[in-house]
Amino acid sequence: MSEAGTLIAKDIRKSFQVGDREIGVLHGAHLSLHRGERLCLMGASGAGKSTFLHILGLLERPTEGEVLLNGKDAWAMSNTQRASLRNRSLGFVFQFYHLLPELNALENVVLPARIAAAHKDAPVGLSEATDRARESLARFGLEKRMDHRPSQLSGGEQQRVAIARALLLDPPILIADEPTGNLDTGTGKRVLELLLKEQEDRGLSMILVTHDPRIAEACDRVMAIQDGQIQSDTGVEIPH
Amino acid sequence: MYQSFLSWRFLTARRINWVGIIGVFVGVTALILILSIMSGFLDQQRRMVRGTLSHLVIEPSPLMSATGAPLPETAEPLLQAVSSDPRVANSCAQLSWFALLIQGGRGSAYSASRLSDTTSAKLVGVQIVGIDTEAEYQTTELREALNTPPAGMSFGHVPVTDPEDPFAAPSSEFDASPWAWCVVGQQLAIVHGLRRGSEINLGTMIPDPQTGEVRQSNRKFLVAGTFRTGENESDLGRIYVDRSELHDFLATSRDYSQVLVKLHDYDRDGQALSKELSSSLAEAGLIRASDLNEVRTWEQYRGNILGAIENEKVLMAIMLSLVLVVAGFSVFAILTMMVAEKRRDIGILSALGGTRSGTLMIFLLIGFWDALLGAGAGAVAGVLGAKYIDPIERSISGFFGVQIFDRKVYLFDHIPAVIDPYSVAAIVLGAFLCTLTFAAIPAWRASRLNPLDALRYE
Repeated sequence: MSEAGTLIAKDIRKSFQVGDREIGVLHGAHLSLHRGERLCLMGASGAGKSTFLHILGLLERPTEGEVLLNGKDAWAMSNTQRASLRNRSLGFVFQFYHLLPELNALENVVLPARIAAAHKDAPVGLSEATDRARESLARFGLEKRMDHRPSQLSGGEQQRVAIARALLLDPPILIADEPTGNLDTGTGKRVLELLLKEQEDRGLSMILVTHDPRIAEACDRVMAIQDGQIQSDTGVEIPH
Repeated sequence: MYQSFLSWRFLTARRINWVGIIGVFVGVTALILILSIMSGFLDQQRRMVRGTLSHLVIEPSPLMSATGAPLPETAEPLLQAVSSDPRVANSCAQLSWFALLIQGGRGSAYSASRLSDTTSAKLVGVQIVGIDTEAEYQTTELREALNTPPAGMSFGHVPVTDPEDPFAAPSSEFDASPWAWCVVGQQLAIVHGLRRGSEINLGTMIPDPQTGEVRQSNRKFLVAGTFRTGENESDLGRIYVDRSELHDFLATSRDYSQVLVKLHDYDRDGQALSKELSSSLAEAGLIRASDLNEVRTWEQYRGNILGAIENEKVLMAIMLSLVLVVAGFSVFAILTMMVAEKRRDIGILSALGGTRSGTLMIFLLIGFWDALLGAGAGAVAGVLGAKYIDPIERSISGFFGVQIFDRKVYLFDHIPAVIDPYSVAAIVLGAFLCTLTFAAIPAWRASRLNPLDALRYE
């Protein structure tokens, strides 16, 4: 069976040095994400879920433990290999959209393809990537906003641009960090529907971080993190 | 490459970046402009320092030749030996000695100005140079020095009637005069109120090389006209006369004291030929010894002054380079600010698959664009500015009503500017190196940032 789209984290520990003190944030967290699975990660602020997500997203090195992405130990690779893996295998959607303010919507969406070209690992050329980006933005109802800068777009529109960017290179895994956390209820709902539909249509694996139990209900599996440890998995009551 | 794409976008999105570009632009323009003008000035100064010297100067020392035989009494053998070399274009002989300008007796034409006499400590010494007109004109720039000087510098100029024969009587009214004619430096004429036909009395002492006995002699000459070389020493203290006339006046055994040589290509052959002639002429018994510096290039002859000029140029270049360092600092400050501002974007790029080296490259490229735009535009502006410095200076002077470049002070009729392509290239390259070095520090810091800090705490 192909391991593409799988993400396994084993006994992840992470601590930060603050002055003379070492502060532990994660104390042996485990996770396994199967192909096509929609996994929800919940937890109170400061529980360590963002740190865990950054480690799973290969943005931060764990103090101990290993992360297997597509079956390969991501932290045993070189920085460049890991950056390339992040570019090709992971799509990020952040709470605050994180679009580059100097680029218009279309250019923001095409950016991962430009970076892939620098890794000499581009699955599509720039013109094809641009066509794909146009098609995605049109599908997301942004055909008239492609030339607009992020500052000229509403929060919902910015998040849709960010989703199109995350999906551009067809990564097998999506990581969404409170994607509706900064949107009003109605807009958040529409953005979430769009995100979930794309994930389902493309058969992607997804880790969704949220505070919202209603969003968690739409997931295949829910994990709760508390004090740096996974406290519950599906079957266990979702904390309200 | 996403790095160049993003660096260009980051650059153009913020107006503050223009400060860096303008800084480099101003630095490069100023450097090219000022160095071109400096080079022009130095070039003119070199020309003045050279004055009426030719490329090589051969001054046989007195008495014996290297072979022990006396040196030839005429210049012909030396002139022939020199002319036989294909690198030599022309040569001429000069007889040179000193004289005092002394009172010519009652009713002297120039007595308004005080001359050398026993009642004052003042000595008016002149160098008196005997020349063969035709050969001299072909070898040195004396013919040009007889022309009317440019406007603003022609005061006191007395043109010779016939430049092809400057020592001929200017008109028939002087036919009865028993004295020979001479051409004097323009400033000498101004100081002593000399005009055409003025009578001057030259007194000198001539040692006998065999006995050491010193003989006194004096003779009157008539002023035929003036010359101007631009070199103070010559214009204030030199008098040209016909060589045979001077030989007759001094009554020395040898009829020449030096031979001037003009080359086809001085830059290429000057040094080598000077050394070769030094030994070949010594072997031929035409000079005394090859180690007495009897054969010198004009630069060796005027070594001290030229060395000072070169030093001045180097010093100027070093001082002006500081302008580029200042421009580099502005790029450094802007980029440092930008890196702090772009912390979040660096995090985003990292999440999208960007590397540390990619981040480094983005900010380094911003420095590169600063240098490319600033130095490129600066090179164009500097070269055009140097080329059209005269009309620019005139319009600025006209606008402000102040004369920026006083042509009388500098003795030039225009602002001299020499654009050296190698200097322009070196300045542009220097601007690039300086800007990139200053950009490298914030770029390196950007690549060392932990971008997650920005993503995590927002």
